[in-house]
Amino acid sequence: MLAQRATQQSLRRLAASNPSTASRMVFKNFAAPLAVGSSMHTRPVTTQKMTPADSYEILVAQRKLRPVSPHLTIYQPQMPWIASGLNRITGSVLSGGFYVFGAAYLVSPLFGWHLDSASMAAAFGSLPMALKVATKFVVALPFTFHTMNGLRHLTWDLGKSFANKTVIKTGWVVTGATIASSLYLALLA
Amino acid sequence: MASIVRPAMLRQTCLATASKRTFSTKLSSFPAINKPAASVLSRPVVRSAFVRDALPGAIRVAAFHASGRQPILPPLPQVINGTANDAAPVPPANPSHGSYHWTFERLISAGLIPLTIAPFAAGSLNPTMDAILCATILIHSHIGFESIVIDYIPTKRLPKTRVLFWWGLRLATVVVGVGLYEFETNDVGVTEAIKRIWHA
Repeated sequence: MLAQRATQQSLRRLAASNPSTASRMVFKNFAAPLAVGSSMHTRPVTTQKMTPADSYEILVAQRKLRPVSPHLTIYQPQMPWIASGLNRITGSVLSGGFYVFGAAYLVSPLFGWHLDSASMAAAFGSLPMALKVATKFVVALPFTFHTMNGLRHLTWDLGKSFANKTVIKTGWVVTGATIASSLYLALLA
Repeated sequence: MASIVRPAMLRQTCLATASKRTFSTKLSSFPAINKPAASVLSRPVVRSAFVRDALPGAIRVAAFHASGRQPILPPLPQVINGTANDAAPVPPANPSHGSYHWTFERLISAGLIPLTIAPFAAGSLNPTMDAILCATILIHSHIGFESIVIDYIPTKRLPKTRVLFWWGLRLATVVVGVGLYEFETNDVGVTEAIKRIWHA
């Protein structure tokens, strides 16, 4: 330790009195091995002239090779986002059916389809019981979910019951009520 | 000299370098750095970091992007406008871009509550109320589909597809509106029809 300290101090004194000597010493000690090392690892660099259009093409091609960002599967399934997603999915299913029926009814005379209420009721009535109940349940499920979850969303829009725990609790309430009311509509109504 | 006197310092330096390289995705061009397990580094933490370093570059890059590749769609056409240094565009001011449409959407949604409960309570609806219910559902559906188009077909990425779907949705809404008008005027009404089919 003492020897180290003494060397350090003498070096400092030398540097203060004669800066050029000190810099030459530094060069002799450290710069030479670095120079040898870099001469061993030379890499020839070639450049290429490129128009802006060419470089744009390369950039566009490169962007198509970028990694795909993670999809929904990386998230833990939780009530708030699952219910919110289902709200949109059930709404799309219901509205999609509504649109398909409305458009089909308009063009039905052209194709000879029988989409009047009496024909549809007769066709549905002729189905076997199990299929009727299953169809009713499949139709009732998105309807009841979207209706009751829509109430939940409207409550949030009023700025109420938006705490995380409340959101999870009301989510489960809506889930239970959806299944119960769908079963009621399919079996008893 | 200091490193000979104080070996702890060397160990710290090595640890720092090793941890820095663990998180980097590039292979060093310096061959000595990519060699596994130097004898000086006997601590297990350090050794594991160096073992990871010895993996090929591509595997380390893949591991860095931790999730698996799950392309649900092929990459969309790429268009690069301007540079990264351009300021974000400010949309032109328009009084209808306020919260009016939001309030309107909520009023439509809230209006559907009594219209949905009424047929369950009364058994069916009279033609006027049935027409109002149909129109409200149509507007509600149109707004919902609009939001879906806005969310999943951004103008920035798919400008032509966006225009196609935007006007396609408007056309579909008009067609469905006319179809429902025909149904309401020629048939028994939507609530009554659903009731008859449901009890068939």
